Amino acid sequence: MVHQEINLVPDLTVAENVYLGRMPGKWSYLRKGEMVRKAAAVLDELGAAINPRERLGNLSISQQQLVEIAKAYAAQPRIIVLDEPTSSLSEHETAALFRILRKMRDDGIAIVYISHRLKEVLEIADEVTVLRDGSMIETRPIEGITAGAMIRLMVGREVSNVFPKSAAEIGASVLRVERIGDGASFRDVSFDVRAGEILGLTGLVGAARSEVARAIFGLSRIVEGSVSINGRKVVISSPSAAVRAGIAYVPEDRKGDGIVPGMSVRENISLPILRRLTSFGRIRGSADRSLSALYVKQFSISPPDGERRINLLSGGNQQKAVIAKWLAAKPAVLILDEPTRGVDVGAKAEIHHIIGQLVADGMAVVMISSELPEILGVCDRVVVMRDGRASQPLTRAEFSEERIMALATGEEAA
Amino acid sequence: MTDAAMEISGLNRNDRFTRGSRLVDALSKTGLLLAILAVVAYGSFASPAFFTTGNLLNVLTSMSIVGIVVVGMTFVLVVGGLADLSVPATIACGAILSLGLQPLIGPVPAFVLAVALAGLIGLLNGVLVGYVGINPIIATLGVGTIGLGIVQAAVGGVIVYGSNTASAEFAKGRLLGIPVVVLIFLVIALIGHFVLSRSFWGRWTLATGGNYNAAEASAVPVKAVKAGAFVITALASGVSGGLLGLTLQSARPLIGSGYEFSAITAVVVGGVSIIGGFGSVPRAIAGLIFVQLLTNVMVLQGVRTPIQGFVLGILIVGAVGMDAALRKRGVV
Amino acid sequence: MTRALVLASQYRVVIILGLTLVISALVVPGYLSASTLSLGLDRAATIGLIAIGLTVLLIAGQIDLSGGAVFALAGIISVILQREIGILPAAIVGILVGTVAGAINGALVVGLKVNSLVLTLATMLIFRSLAHWITNSQPVTGTDIMLSLALAKIYLEIFTIRSALFIILIVLLHVWLTRSIPGRNVFAVGSNPAAAKESGIASDRIVFLGFVFAGMLAGLAGVLQSLVTNTGSPVFGSELTVAVIAAVVVGGTRLEGGRGSALGTLGGVLTIGSLTIAMEFQSIPAYVQQVVSGLILILLVVLDRVVTTKGRAPGTRPALVRDDPITQGGKV
Repeated sequence: MVHQEINLVPDLTVAENVYLGRMPGKWSYLRKGEMVRKAAAVLDELGAAINPRERLGNLSISQQQLVEIAKAYAAQPRIIVLDEPTSSLSEHETAALFRILRKMRDDGIAIVYISHRLKEVLEIADEVTVLRDGSMIETRPIEGITAGAMIRLMVGREVSNVFPKSAAEIGASVLRVERIGDGASFRDVSFDVRAGEILGLTGLVGAARSEVARAIFGLSRIVEGSVSINGRKVVISSPSAAVRAGIAYVPEDRKGDGIVPGMSVRENISLPILRRLTSFGRIRGSADRSLSALYVKQFSISPPDGERRINLLSGGNQQKAVIAKWLAAKPAVLILDEPTRGVDVGAKAEIHHIIGQLVADGMAVVMISSELPEILGVCDRVVVMRDGRASQPLTRAEFSEERIMALATGEEAA
Repeated sequence: MTDAAMEISGLNRNDRFTRGSRLVDALSKTGLLLAILAVVAYGSFASPAFFTTGNLLNVLTSMSIVGIVVVGMTFVLVVGGLADLSVPATIACGAILSLGLQPLIGPVPAFVLAVALAGLIGLLNGVLVGYVGINPIIATLGVGTIGLGIVQAAVGGVIVYGSNTASAEFAKGRLLGIPVVVLIFLVIALIGHFVLSRSFWGRWTLATGGNYNAAEASAVPVKAVKAGAFVITALASGVSGGLLGLTLQSARPLIGSGYEFSAITAVVVGGVSIIGGFGSVPRAIAGLIFVQLLTNVMVLQGVRTPIQGFVLGILIVGAVGMDAALRKRGVV
Repeated sequence: MTRALVLASQYRVVIILGLTLVISALVVPGYLSASTLSLGLDRAATIGLIAIGLTVLLIAGQIDLSGGAVFALAGIISVILQREIGILPAAIVGILVGTVAGAINGALVVGLKVNSLVLTLATMLIFRSLAHWITNSQPVTGTDIMLSLALAKIYLEIFTIRSALFIILIVLLHVWLTRSIPGRNVFAVGSNPAAAKESGIASDRIVFLGFVFAGMLAGLAGVLQSLVTNTGSPVFGSELTVAVIAAVVVGGTRLEGGRGSALGTLGGVLTIGSLTIAMEFQSIPAYVQQVVSGLILILLVVLDRVVTTKGRAPGTRPALVRDDPITQGGKV
């Protein structure tokens, strides 16, 4: 099994990683020379110019990826699963990997190759299976299938009427980011979002959508480019600065970043604006309670009890509470990161309804989503990200499932 | 008796994970109260000296000194700061300086300055833990060693005696029949309770301990909140040390050793989670009362001091183990 | 700048040890004589033996704060039993006591899945109380003074039995850590527990045995100390905790796990040892020495923090740093 994420031991050498858990030796004495020799042979076969004695942590990510592959290969498996193995490899390294994969195939090893790079799939696979939303769509031999056909299978053919687009008056530009980058995962990202508009931000997993959102909200650092709110440049160094500037962010990982599990719905909702409910250091209980009562009612959070511990609510209701927490701060722009992931259909519709109300009231909304039908149904414009870069915004007239998927995978669809 | 304590501390933490019902909550509170009553009952039955005004006042007074530290330590545990091991240093700082500086600047300024310097040690802890990201136990262990060394060096490593009788009288005195030390403890406990349960700072502390990332993403100044808990503990220990010095009228450098464990035990037995996010000052004080009464009964029964330390250690292991076991079964 | 820091931190043992020796030699007359060095080495051996165990534990991503208490307990037991069963069997029992203490720590950490810092803090209290309990808080003396003299004898102008044992053990540890399969697996467990587990390494067993090993060495150090001084005291070793952690950290072993070396620890131990001797020769009081070891610990931990967060390529930080490291006060 080769993971997309590097799952190796940074403080051991390359050779030790390749033979992790299976180091050669006798009486627990490590045959280091033998191990290094064998590892070197494996790396050589893979065409990777890596010194087996080097500390793994000193290697680049793409070299580490190769070590991960070498580790799987050295175990001489009958089946090998590769999950996006080329996500950080260069073309040359990819070619070497494919050579070795073909050789493994000819040796009788079964290979499951998971990738969103359709070109690679066409090049290496004998048979392709398309999955969508956790269910299998179709398995076909590679002969006679094209990238366009695969994209059509990936996006499906559902009608997008399930997401009614609410009409809102679109006003002036509220949030504008220009050529921002964080020095690592994304750069040169520009877009703007206007009052009353929902801007979709989509792309495949790993395209750095969330990273952009987190950086704008001050959770990580922006090293280049500029962010302006209502035409005024702002420096966002922390989430509190973002809140002051009028930016709010509903994170993707609700459990990890969204809720404080031991606290009640009320305490979660008032957290970002606690200072405004405080006089002489004391939280005004009545203000605190009426705030949560307001949103519990408005969003029909169920059960309608602000004193309920938030982790006891369903996912959809937790999410509504997390959105409520930010509305209390009255932001100019709200960034929603996968707001409907893991919630049931009913709650999903409610959340979309809430978003519709917000833009109708003149808020600017950035919605990150991997779900194409959702993006197509809800958004006014869409920016597609791929490998840390953003496309030009597509308007409703311009975007279609195929167009977005083509931009996201870097393949021009047929 | 230790079994009982573990059971109680377990109950206390239960409500965090189960239905969150008031019933469990009420049960857990009464559980600890019942345990305290049981110790009282056993004590009165087993030893005639236990249920006397003199003995109970003694317990109350010695409890108050630790209790002030407990109030601070509650913040450290709730914010997810594990423990503050620099307490012996901050107590010594409070005690030695508030006595040693008396001849130079007078008793009241000496006390204030002593507490302020203890707070400075706390600030150093806070910066290392909250901002630099050092493990709290290592940081407070190191800073405590340094602080204690500096305080000793300042007075030449000897015992310091008090020179101001008025302040001694005050600290040892009584108001309406209640020892002044106890009154001060009650005031500090009330303030601590107010801050943790009613103020924005307390809410931030609970949120930071409950889910650091979510608190950060909710614009809570998590680093400052974490650092603040250590400053609060250091200030509390400084006051505690100052009072200790004034009551004893002498302070040796190791005056505060052992207080860190007493405080941690009380807080943990009171059901405050070792990983943070849950707890209150009254709970910690209930834990303190239980531990202190238990110790007192042991003393009256002729159980020697080391065994008491032994029991404290077992209580911590039990409470921590219970916490971990509940967390495993819990929702979080 | 960062690069210089990384380099400095890589070779810091050599730099720090060199600086210590040079400064000491300039300040203390006759410092570099064989007798002084042998005294320093002997003194360092106590810290060193405990540090050997702690090195393994820290590499595996765990910590043991109870070493000082185990040191005292093992020493006391071996002295008390001398009258009953003879010196050698008593010494063996003493070492066994340390081993059992380590096994208790390991079983509790692995079994309860709790933070080793908090747990060993509690067991430290328990072991220390046991030591006081057994001895009634009085030092105990052994039967044979001549043995102490024999142990203090200097061979080859520089080694005592104790310091020779330390050197031999640390060299063996070096070979084991670098050239054996289990030794390499210790690094894997500390550096990326998820990857280690997935590769079929029994991390629980490695952690447990790490604690057993650390307890055994603390026991060995305690037994040797009690033989050399012909006494066992319940207060022995209380100042050792910070010194030992400082020595290991000076040697380049990271609190976050996954990195460290036996030779580095040797350098760290020698540094602390030579510092101690230099300060003793200058009659610098013990509390100033404490300040120095506390300062060294804090400064180096801060340096490690700065270097590990800035000097690594993104995505290559060890798992423990990424996901709630045990020594970061994260989830346990």
